[in-house]
Order: sequence, then structure tokens, then C-alpha cells
Amino acid sequence: MTNIATAEQTVTLEIARYRPGVDQRPTLQRYDVPYREEWVVLDALNYLKDRVDGSLSYRWSCRMGICGSCGMMVNGAAKLTCAAFLRDYLPGPIRIEPLSNFPVERDLVIVLDDFMEKLTAIKPWIIRDEEQPIEQGEYRQTPAQLADFKQYSMCINCMLCYAACPVYQHEEQFLGPAVLALAQRYNHDSRDQGNADRYELIWSDEGIWDCTFVGECSAVCPKHVDPAGAIQQAKVESTLGWYRSFIAPFGRR
Amino acid sequence: MTAPYPRQRSNAWYLANWPYRLFMLRELSAVFLALYTVLLLLLVRKVHAGPAAFAGYVDTLQSPLLIAVHVVVMAFALLHSVTWFQAVPKGLPIRRGEEPVPPQLVIGANYVLLLAVTVIVVVVVRV
Repeated sequence: MTNIATAEQTVTLEIARYRPGVDQRPTLQRYDVPYREEWVVLDALNYLKDRVDGSLSYRWSCRMGICGSCGMMVNGAAKLTCAAFLRDYLPGPIRIEPLSNFPVERDLVIVLDDFMEKLTAIKPWIIRDEEQPIEQGEYRQTPAQLADFKQYSMCINCMLCYAACPVYQHEEQFLGPAVLALAQRYNHDSRDQGNADRYELIWSDEGIWDCTFVGECSAVCPKHVDPAGAIQQAKVESTLGWYRSFIAPFGRR
Repeated sequence: MTAPYPRQRSNAWYLANWPYRLFMLRELSAVFLALYTVLLLLLVRKVHAGPAAFAGYVDTLQSPLLIAVHVVVMAFALLHSVTWFQAVPKGLPIRRGEEPVPPQLVIGANYVLLLAVTVIVVVVVRV
């Protein structure tokens, strides 16, 4: 069995450290970790925490790109550290920082309250005017109806898109890419009847119209949700809705 | 007691990476296109003023400075067209049943349309 502690080749990590109430600002701390071809950045962090420095704080859970907890900045780019292989950053050093555009709780842990509040604000669940009685069976959907929103349902709330969004960096009230993509996910679901509950917030200045279509949210998304596309499509819908309200002020938007 | 380190913003954010820089250039392209419309409007005015004024304006346009301006405007116009054609399938995705129409097809259709319009304009001008 290979003993990782005696591995010869190493790679240097520069990790942002911040202790609340002690440090004025985050500082970089250098660590050498053994290099393994099959290791991702998260493996290296786990190695450090287990064997070198137990005080290092970061979030992670599934280590397979599903839980969305381990998002960090790797060499300045928003990444899931469970999917960022050390081998792609050789020879190093590799800089690991907490996700941009969020307050830092400690080390690599960000404060995500703002995202959570925005997420619930758009009511990301199926809203029905009237629930269908159970005897009538499930709400059926055609494959085409499913295709209308499936891509947006792949979001894992990892917040990489917020870290990549310069609009969110400068306008904290912006609802942001993931939340707006999730709004599309429910608005486009044929079982949902909650558009009227959502559009006021989504079509507001804090919603889609704050977006300047930089497009980096879609570039960093590990699940190919394409929030930038979702927002531009919502802009088209919002514009059409505005014209409709002009022509028929009391009609359904 | 926790004291989170506040979120940071940078006024030089657009220098951070190439996608951001390209975004800024894309947005800036509109300024150069607006500049060019001013040149075009002046042209219309000179045409209205008569052949002498028009000839004088054409002469002015041939100054090295204005040729340089045209080269820069042309570069930004190309960037503008390419980037916005690239963006079309994002805002207007087309699906046939469950299958999305490939974005490249939608983008390609825009280039074909641009070519067709250009040909029509050239033909009309020649006549």
C-alpha cells in the first residue's frame, strides 16, 4: 500500500486564512502537499486538515459534484474543488481562496445568508391554484414539457455563478444567476401556476434587468445550467409581458 | 462572536480575466458604432447640401486620421456582430419537440441573413 506521507513529489498550495475577531484581513498561508495524479484540490485540503493543520476550515460533503458545498476560488476562478484536479494546475503554486463576492466567515467558508434569502424569495417550489385530488393521479408531463425546464433543475446551489458575476459584486441587491435560473425552472414547469407570484420580483430592477449579460455565470457552472441564457430568455418574456400589459392592462401576463 | 470579513468589490474587476475584458470591449463597441452613425448622418447632410459639399466631405474622409478611425470602427463593428450573433441562441433558444436546434445553426442563420442583406444593399447601391 502506498504511504501518502512519504510521497516524493509535492505541490504548493497558497490558502487564504481568516480568523474572525483575530485577523484584520485574510492572509495567504503556504502548505506543501504530496502530489497525486488522481487528487483533486479537495483531497489536498482534506490531507492538510487531517495531518498538517486541523484548524483549516472549509465546507465540503459529497466530493462528487452533487452537494454544491465545496465551491472555492482556485487560482482566481470559481470551481468545485472536488472537480479541480491538482494535475491541471501544475507546477503550482495553487492559490485557494473563498468564493468571491461573499463575506468570509472563516478561512475558506463564506457567509451564504444572502443567497439563501434570495433563493426563498422567488418561491422555488411548484405553486398550484388548486391541488388536484390524489385519485386523479400524478401531474403528467410530456417529454417536451420536461425539456422546457429540465436544464435549470440541475442547479446544485453551489454559488459559483455568484462568485463569477461582476454585477453581483457591485450590486448586492441583484437576485443573481442561480436564483433567476431557478425561477425559470418553476415558471416553465407545466405543473406550476405560480408565475404571477414570481414575476414582480423577477422582472424588477433587482431581478433580470440588473444583468448586463457578462455570461461568466454559465461559463463556470459545473452543471451546465446556463443561467445567462435563462436570464436573457426571461428578459424576452418580460418585454413581451410588458407589451401585453399595455395592450390588455387587465389580462393575465 | 463572529466578525465576517466583508465582501470585496474591485473597480478594476474587468481586468481580472479575458472573458471580462472581452465583455467590456463588446459593450464599448456600441460607442464606436454610435460614433460611426454620426459620420453617416454628416454624410446625409452633405448629400443634401449638394455635390460640392459631398465631394468635400469625401475628401475629408480620406485624411489618415479618419481612415484610422474607420479601421478602428470596423474592428469594433465586427466584434459587435460576432459577439451578439454568438448570443442569439442564449436569448432565443429554438427547440423541435424535445431536441434543441444546435446553437451553431441559429448563429449560422444570422450570418446567412447578414450576407443576404449585404448583397441586397450592394445591388441597390450599384443600380
